[in-house]
Amino acid sequence: MKLLRTKRDKLVFEISLPEKRLLFEVLRLYPLITTAHHRLSKTARSAKQDENQRLLEESLTAQREVNRKNVRAMLGQTGHFETTASSLHLTLSRPEIEWLLQVLNDVRIGSWIALGSPDPEQGKPFVFDEKAVTHFRTMELAGAFQMVFLNALSGSQAT
Amino acid sequence: MAATATPEVRPGIGRDEKTDSQTEREPGYLVICWNDPVNLMDYVTHVFQVVFGWKRQKAEVHMLQVHNQGKSVLTRESMEKAEFYVHQLQQYSLHATMERD
Repeated sequence: MKLLRTKRDKLVFEISLPEKRLLFEVLRLYPLITTAHHRLSKTARSAKQDENQRLLEESLTAQREVNRKNVRAMLGQTGHFETTASSLHLTLSRPEIEWLLQVLNDVRIGSWIALGSPDPEQGKPFVFDEKAVTHFRTMELAGAFQMVFLNALSGSQAT
Repeated sequence: MAATATPEVRPGIGRDEKTDSQTEREPGYLVICWNDPVNLMDYVTHVFQVVFGWKRQKAEVHMLQVHNQGKSVLTRESMEKAEFYVHQLQQYSLHATMERD
């Protein structure tokens, strides 16, 4: 998958059918992270903080619902994809890439959590078994798609 | 998700509400991004640019601070603004919190 061109505010990618299948496979997993995973503060503990934490989780739930709707729309319609003689073209606006990045990162982080949150630098290595390989594959796939979109954005914007 | 008991003492009761409100408006809250071994460096830079409107260079400085020093203080704000930024960063699944300065 690669960026072909930028057309006004849209970015056009060339994507093969197997890549499209892999992208959809990752998107279908969304969401993987629970809203309770995110904490507003590491230190503060008070009734007010609990209330603010609840508001944070509500806000994340609402955002997640918007993303989920976007994912469903992308999976269920062919509007973003155009078949050409040799390949598929995927056309996305910048806001669409933003929610895709959020979704892909949720799947990446969620897969990492499912792996037991390994951190080799802190002496917590990856432990591989059959199930772990699946999570690891998903984590790396999500990351690979993220990098395609990030490179496309950074290469197509004036800095 | 752990259930949260309804607080019996509402915020402000037994305290000077004006003082509380003033405290919340003061820029005494730090928005901190913490290191983790999974978020991609380019992704973190991108999120800082989007959320704070920073140029790439400034975003990279903070990203590298997170990576090398374990955390970076991204901004110092009032409670409301700090919450807003933490919400934004967490929508992108970054490990961000707000702490009293």
